[in-house]
Formats: sequence, C-alpha cells, structure tokens
Amino acid sequence: MNPFKRAKRKGASTLTVRLWEFTGSALLSLLVFVILGVYLSPLAYMLVTSVKTPTQLSDSKAPIYPAINPQFNYQGTDYPVMSVPTADGAKEWAMVTRRRTYAEFIDPQNPEKGLIHWDGNWRALQKAYKFSVSVDAFPAIWKSAKVLQTMGYTFYIAFVSEIGVLLSSIAVAYGFSRFRIPGGKWLFLLLIGTILIPDSITSLPTYFIFTRILGWNGTWNPLIVPHFFSSAIFVFLLRQNFKSIPRDLDEAAMLDGAGPLRILTSIIIPQSIPTITTVALLHFFYIWNELRVASLYLGIAPNYRTISLSTSIANLAIGFTPEVLEASAMIAMIVPIIVLFVCQRFFMRDMVVTGSEK
Amino acid sequence: MNNIFRRSKDPQAKAHPNAGLRREEGLIGLMFLSPWILGFILLKLVPILAALVFSLTDFHMLTPEKTQFIGLKNYLTFLGDLGAWSSLVGSLGYFLTTVPVELVVALLLAAVMSSNRLPARGFLRALIFMPSIIPSMAILFIWLGLLDPYSGWLNQLIMIPLGLPPVSANSYETLILMMALWSIGPGFLIMYGAIQGIPKEIHEAARVDGAGPVLSFISITMPMISPAIFFSLVIDLTSAFGGSLLLDRGYLSSQSLSPMEGYINFVMFTHQDLGYAAALAWVMFAATMTITILLFRSARRWVYFPEESGHESI
Repeated sequence: MNPFKRAKRKGASTLTVRLWEFTGSALLSLLVFVILGVYLSPLAYMLVTSVKTPTQLSDSKAPIYPAINPQFNYQGTDYPVMSVPTADGAKEWAMVTRRRTYAEFIDPQNPEKGLIHWDGNWRALQKAYKFSVSVDAFPAIWKSAKVLQTMGYTFYIAFVSEIGVLLSSIAVAYGFSRFRIPGGKWLFLLLIGTILIPDSITSLPTYFIFTRILGWNGTWNPLIVPHFFSSAIFVFLLRQNFKSIPRDLDEAAMLDGAGPLRILTSIIIPQSIPTITTVALLHFFYIWNELRVASLYLGIAPNYRTISLSTSIANLAIGFTPEVLEASAMIAMIVPIIVLFVCQRFFMRDMVVTGSEK
Repeated sequence: MNNIFRRSKDPQAKAHPNAGLRREEGLIGLMFLSPWILGFILLKLVPILAALVFSLTDFHMLTPEKTQFIGLKNYLTFLGDLGAWSSLVGSLGYFLTTVPVELVVALLLAAVMSSNRLPARGFLRALIFMPSIIPSMAILFIWLGLLDPYSGWLNQLIMIPLGLPPVSANSYETLILMMALWSIGPGFLIMYGAIQGIPKEIHEAARVDGAGPVLSFISITMPMISPAIFFSLVIDLTSAFGGSLLLDRGYLSSQSLSPMEGYINFVMFTHQDLGYAAALAWVMFAATMTITILLFRSARRWVYFPEESGHESI
C-alpha cells in the first residue's frame, strides 16, 4: 500500500503505480508460495515415496523422483544399464562384464553391434535411472488393513455420532442462549471449564466403567454413545452464533403461537447453517482421525476397527517400510482432505471469536 | 441473583413479572440443557471423583476384590518416582515449546494471508488448514519416512548438503515440531477471521498518522484480535495437555505425545495399577488446572474485551 500511495502523491503515471502494485503482489505471492511449499513438503515426500520401489528406497544414490535402474536382457541374462562417459558424451549402456581395469557394455539401442570395450574402473560409473511409478505398496496395505471395510465402519460411526453430537449440542446451545435458567451463568462457566479438563483424568475410570461394568470392550459404543451428551466446545461455538440471531424473530414467532421447539427448528437452525456445518465437519474430521478411544476399546476386536487404527496396526505387522507407510498415510488422509476441499466454502466461515458476547 | 445477571442483558426481563411463567421458562431451558448436564455428571464428574477415590486405594485391574484404602500412599510414591517426575517435566517442556510455536506461526500466517493482494485466498487457506485434518498416525508415518537414513528427505536434502550432522531416526523433537506446526489450522482460521473483522478505517487512520505495516500490526491488529489469540491459546493448551478438542492429536500408536500421559498409560495398562495411575492423573490434572487458571487470570491484563461485560466474557 505504501509505495502505491507514495507514487500517487508524487503524481506518477498510472504505469508506475500499476508496476508497484504488480511487484508488491508478485513478491507477496512468491513469499506465500515458498512458505506453503516448505510447510507442505512432507506431503510431497509422501506422494513421491508411496510410488517408489523398495529397491530404490534402499539405494542411497537413487534420484529423488520415483525411478528404477533399467535392466537390459542380452542373450538370456539381465544386465544393469549404466551411465557411461565416452568421447561422444554419456551413453546409457548395459554392463555385461566387469573387470578391474575395463568393462564390456552392450548398447540397448542396437544390440547387434556386439560388446563395446570400455577402459576404466566400472565402480566409478553411475547407474542410469528411468522415471517409473510403482503402485505395489497400495494393494499391500489395502488388503492387510481391510481398507474398504474399515472405512465403511468409520463412516458409520461418524454418521451415528454426528447425529448425536449435533442434536444434543444444538439443544444445549439453544438452552444456554435463549432461556432464563436459574444459575445459568454458573452452568455455562462450568461448561467452559469442562473443555479444559484433560482426558487423562477421566479416561481411566471411564475405561473401567465401560469395560468392566457396561461390557463395551470391543464394541463401537465407547466411540458413539458419549457424543449423544453434547460436546462443550461445539456448544460454545453454536451458542455464540445463536446469540447473534435477533430475538425479535423469536418473539414474532412466539406471538404466532410457536413453541420453543418450533422456534428452534424454524428460526434458529435455518439461521445458523454455516456454524452447524462447521461443527459437523469438525466432528467428522475428529471421528475419522480419532485413535485414542479406538485403540483403547477396539484393540481386542480385529473385525471392528476404524480406519486409523487398522492402518496403524497393519503397518506394525508389515514392519514399517517407507513405501507402505506413505501409501497408508495417503489412504488414511484422502477422505478428510476431499471433504475439506469440497466443503471449503462453508468451513469455519463464521468462526469469529470475540471477547464479548452479544 | 437471577435478576442481577439478566438486567444488563435484557431490559425486557422486567416486563415479565409473572413468576410462574419464569419458572416454566427455566424448566424448559433446563430440559434443553439436560443432555449436557447428564453427560457432565456421567462422563466428567463421576470419573473425576472416581479417579480421586481410586487414587486413595491400591486398586489393581486384575484383583479388584483385594482393594484396600491406603490413604495418600500413592501420592507419596509419586514424590519418590523419578520416572513420573521426569515425565511431568517433559510434559511441561512439551507445552512450553509447542504452544508458542503454534501461536506465533498461526498468527504470522494469518497476518500474511489477510492481504487482499493474494490470489485464490480461499484455496490457500484450505491448504494451510489441510495438515490439521491429517490423522496423527499418517503424520507419524510421514515423519518416520522423512527421517529414513537412506531415502528420507530431511537428511538427504537438508542436513547433508548443508554439512550438518544427520538427524537420527529416533529424534522425538522433530516429530513434536512437525505435529505442532501441522496442527495450527483451527488457531489460524480463528485469528484469520478476527483479522478480517477489524474495521478498515482503523488501519487507514494509523497510516495517515504515519504508522508502517509492522507498527500497525503490533499496535492495532494484535490488540484487536487478542480474544482470538487467547481462544487459540486455550485450544493449543488443551491439546498439549492431552485433551481432545476440535481435532484430536494426542495418541500415537502406543506412545502418547505428552510424556506424562504416556507414563500414566504405561502404569495403567502394563502394570495394571489403576490406583497409582489415578493418583498420577490427579497430579497432572492439578498441574494443568493451575496453569490454565494462571492463564485465565493473566488474560484480564492482555486480552481486549470491546464491551465491558466482564461477567459474560469467555
């Protein structure tokens, strides 16, 4: 802005002003793209590594991009293709014989020419690499983590608990935002307080109650039922939004004889769709990525695992090889990322947090 | 009591002198609150009190019938347990390193992204938010790969070309840093939204008075969005202490990111010693609550509340 103003004040031509504007925007965009590039570089690593072969991954001289060392079949045997420096520049020849002082090559382009003699130590030669994508890691993890089945389970858990968390959180937020409740202020402070209670204090007795008293070990109940009692942070976000809806609307509806439930469904909810969408998405991401509760209660139930849990257990079994790790990371994150980009317009649009409550 | 609370908010409150109506309104309101009240009692209050009771006994998962009341013995054990102390210090260190990093990076990104000169801001915003919805185990996998001695980019592209010593495969700090940087999403969006909400005239006025972009960021933007900064701080704080808030990032395969939580799980599931684990959980609960209360106290000094409505602010 500053150079722009300065240029304007001096009565400079529009061209200079435009140039300033353009340079400023370009530099800023460049900065942002560099920051984003560094910030997201581990994802690039993931994409590239998931399509590499184990051979390339254990070869420290291999290039960064997915590639293989091509082999050339000569008279029934495979020979590795090397990059050989000659008088006419580097040639890609397959190495047939290797000796201490010389090596013999065959040119894959015209093998009928026969063996080519080359003087020098073959150990100084570099392997030739060709860009090549291998998708072998995906079927491996797809099968051992039962991806389709566990994704289906995770969708089911997300869907049922979504209904519970939305219904209860909307009801509670409505109660806090529209009714004069004796001690309501203190109840709300208590609700904010519960957001800050660390899980470690509640998870031990809850684990005992769920497994020993209710017998929920190995079932989805611990992942679903608690959400039917509303989530404090969602109540906070929804209440803030409900409070910003003018009360005149409720009062008009009340005069028309609408009851509290009717006001909630026909006025409050339609006015709060962006916030409700945000809450729904946050809950979906939460359930999809949840590993704490799932590993506590579904560890003993191999057939009821969620996607996060089954991919991590499958990798323990396969033994942490880079390409399978990255392939499973991709499989686990693909659904939330698609959902995020599809719903990007609606996500966290109205999340303006101010210190005061309207 | 009720009146004091209401008067400032709703001048029409006096227009309803009918006590019966008001009681009815309160009852309907409580009905709407009932899911949360029930959940609070069953899922928070009872477990917390149960943990307190457990912590005073030698409750063992395998032999619940032999349980005896042993008073404060578990807490005395904690005082002499070096492992527990070092994990508590580790947790505090984890909090002290990750939370400021998350806050500063999210704030700077929000400031840069707010410029209206950037193209495709919605898409860029989604890109910044994206790592925050990646499952924690996927991040663990990516991290394991990045540190791989043969194919990992960290050593191949950064450490070795720069002549730095290669990072070993079990450097936990890099994982913590990566987790922290990749969970700034909610904080970033909240601060971004707050920056968007600042009236343009304020910045205009500052510029007329000769304030540069840096000065106006420090003396206008930061105070104006301090409630959003505080809210992000609370989110980061809670997730650093092992709460699951907005987006879960606590638990990684067998080890927890917060060392204290990892130690509690170890006592709980490996030793099956629920009594001692509950005592440790209470120690951690007390530590985190102390820090939280101190932060909330300090908020009065640095968080800007536009309307003086102290009793109803977050």
